[in-house]
This record gives sequence, C-alpha cells and structure tokens, in this order.
Amino acid sequence: MPRFFSNKRLILLLVGVIVLVALIAFSLKDRQSANLPEKIVKDAVGFGQSLFSKPAHSITGFFDDIDGILNTYEENKTLKARLTEYASTEVELGDIKEENERLRKIIDKKDDLRAYDPIQATVISRNPDQWEEKIIVDKGESQGIKLNMAVLTANGLVGKVVLVTKFTSTVELLSTENQNFRVSAMIPGKKDIFGLMEGYDPERGELIMKRIDSGFDVKKGQKVMSSGLGGIFPKGLLIGEVTEVSTDDYGLTKLAYVRPAAEFSMLDHVMIAKRQSATFKGTDDPGTSATEGEDGS
Amino acid sequence: MTRFIIPLIAVVLFFLEPVFSLFSPIELGDVRYTLVPRFVIVYLVFIASYYDLRKAVLYGLFFGLLYDMYHIDIIGIYTFLYPLICFLAFVIIRQVHRSTGTVMLLSLFMVVLLETMSYLFASLIGLTSISMEVFMTARLVPTVIANLIFIILFGWLFKNLVYKRVVEKQAGM
Repeated sequence: MPRFFSNKRLILLLVGVIVLVALIAFSLKDRQSANLPEKIVKDAVGFGQSLFSKPAHSITGFFDDIDGILNTYEENKTLKARLTEYASTEVELGDIKEENERLRKIIDKKDDLRAYDPIQATVISRNPDQWEEKIIVDKGESQGIKLNMAVLTANGLVGKVVLVTKFTSTVELLSTENQNFRVSAMIPGKKDIFGLMEGYDPERGELIMKRIDSGFDVKKGQKVMSSGLGGIFPKGLLIGEVTEVSTDDYGLTKLAYVRPAAEFSMLDHVMIAKRQSATFKGTDDPGTSATEGEDGS
Repeated sequence: MTRFIIPLIAVVLFFLEPVFSLFSPIELGDVRYTLVPRFVIVYLVFIASYYDLRKAVLYGLFFGLLYDMYHIDIIGIYTFLYPLICFLAFVIIRQVHRSTGTVMLLSLFMVVLLETMSYLFASLIGLTSISMEVFMTARLVPTVIANLIFIILFGWLFKNLVYKRVVEKQAGM
C-alpha cells in the first residue's frame, strides 16, 4: 500500500485549503463588482464563449423554425380569430396614447417611468453548475449597460443585471433563491397594489410577491408588473400572474404566489431596458438591503 | 500534433459546457430536472488515469480558476475541486485494473463526487436550500445520465487520443 500523503504533499494540501478559504472569503464579500483581473478574464472568456454560443443558437434556431412551420396551420387559425379583436384594440390604444401625451403636455410632465430604450443582447452562456440562476450576455459597459438594469424577453421580465464588465454582463434571473434579490412590483387595478418580488419557490416553480398591505384584496389571476418605484426598472414590465394568495409568516402582510410570464430556460435573446427618466438607488438595488433588514415587514 | 490537440479539446469542452446548460432545466411532468454538463472533469479524469497526473492537475487548476472567475464569481471552489478530483482519480486508478471500461466508470463516479461536493459547498454558503432528497432525484440522477451519454459517446475518443500522446512521448517527440 503506497502512502498517498507524503509530508510534502500534506503541506501542499494544507496550504491549498488555507488559500482556498481565504479566496472564497475574499470573493464572497463583494460580488457586485469585479476587480481588474476578473474583468479581463470575463471579457476574454466571454469573447471565446460567444464564438461557441452563437453557432449553437443558430442551430437551435433552425430547429425552432422547423417546429414553427409544423405548427403554422394551427397558429394561423387562432391568430385569425384574434385579428379582429386586435384591430379594435390597436385603434383604442393609439387613441389612449395620444390622449396620454396631450395630458402630459398640459401638466408639463416630461418624465415617464414607462419609457425605456431596449438594448438587444444575446445570451452567451448559462452558469453550468446551476446553483445560481445566472446567465451571461454579450453586451456590457461599453454598450451603456449599468448595474441593476431590468432584463426582459418578449414575454416579460426575466431578471436584472448583477455584474457588468466592458463587453459582457451577468444577469441574475428572477427564479433565483438569493434573498437579497428584490424587484419592486405592483398589481394594477382600480387601486394599485404594491409589493416586492422576493424569492422563488423551486418546488412550485413560482415567484413570491411579499409585503403586500393586508388591507388590499388580491385576487387570483391578476397580473403583476414592475412598479418603476425601485429606482432603475422601468414601469409596467410584465412579471406574471397571481395564482395563490396567503399571509406571510407573521400574519402582518400578504404574500402572493406569481406564475412567471417569461420562460427561464432556453433563453437566447434578451432585451436590457435602459430607463429614459432619471434613475435612483432603490429596492431594485441590493446595496440597500442591509439597512432594510431581512424580515422587516 | 496530438500535443496541441489535448489542451485544445479541454478548451473546447470548457466552452461547450455553458452552451449545453442553456438546455437545462427540463420539465417533465411537474418536476424540473437540472442537467449539469461536467465534460471537462470527465476529460481530466481520462488524462489523469492514462497520461500524466501533473498535467491533469495543472489543467484542473487553470480551468477551475477560469470557471470560478467567469461563471461563479466566487474564486476558489472549482479551483480546488478540479485538481482534487484529478488526484483522487489517479489514486483510485492505481489500485484497479486500467481498462477503458473502468476508466469510464471512474469518470462517472468522479462526476457524482464533484456534483455532491459542489452541492455541499453551495448549501454551506447558502446558494441553495434544496434538501438532500431533492438534490438526489432532481439533479444528481439526471446529471449522471446526461454525463453517462457523453462518456459513452466520447470515452473511446479521449482514450485513443491520450494514448496516442503517451506513445508519441515515449518515442521522444
């Protein structure tokens, strides 16, 4: 039986463990920003990664196209049925938009929380060990992306930017279990209901909206969208639909389970929303979470 | 020639891992199954058992560090786990008969080990709250199946390639 650990190897292993613990402690402390070597590695690897991911996307895109062609007949039927409805809605929408603009002019209000410039980005990788729900996209600081910006697909909000380098940015998805991931949300209605998207139930596959004032009546089936009050998110990005309402652990506020509108797997193209009106640090920004307290309801 | 192909394949596998993880998680029925591609470690186990432990550990350090910096943002997890797995694979393969079948089995076992260790780590620093049973059924088993397919498809190729390099080296090239 040979000795696995000679003295030299044992010392090497011990030193290795110490360095490991030190490095982990060091990098756990501040995950909001990357230091220079990290940024360089991210940009370099990100470039190589995009060489692999983009052809892969075109291959999956090809199969999606075939799938789309096969479904064309069915889709066409349903779309035709909805077309008449659509035309009248469009006219109405145009009318309302115009009126909205006119009214805005009257009260001299230029800022609009809803307005944003979309930046198109391609997903180049997903965190392969999927402990954290993170994807990396091919647009970064040089394209005007900033920390905490909203990331969405055509179906709705998917996440927000948690780390930016020159040419890439890391996006944390809404389906994260991270406690410090918050999005200020609202349920529009006669009276808007405000709350925070906070947490995810992996077994139900649904998001959790917390801190809803218990005086409000939340119903199943109501739509949830971003409120724009968090600081950097635009208003009105669809998050999902309420499926169940209950009270939180302390019985002081309500919480609602929300079925997300967007699909979190198989993401290939996303939009990053750059809000037009001024941005502030708020609930969308995890930097403030320390002062807020973990369960302060 | 093979001299350059060996690191090149490691690089390609490193870049392919996140591409394949774009397909995950898959939903069957009501359960979400997470598939984790662990291609690099499979390849490193082949290098460690057929070629050279030192090379495998060096590759492990390098790709582990890249993995940590690019994907995880916590430096030190895979930088430590990859070389450790290579070392363990080397220790185990010395005790058993070294045939392609056993090396394939060993690489699969190492995937299980790596996955379990990364689970323990993730629950230790609070990245996940799933229980052991959920981890086993929704993550470990599908991961093992996915990687088994990969090993069956590419195991022979890796073995032949690494073996070719060993022969070349003995010939003094």
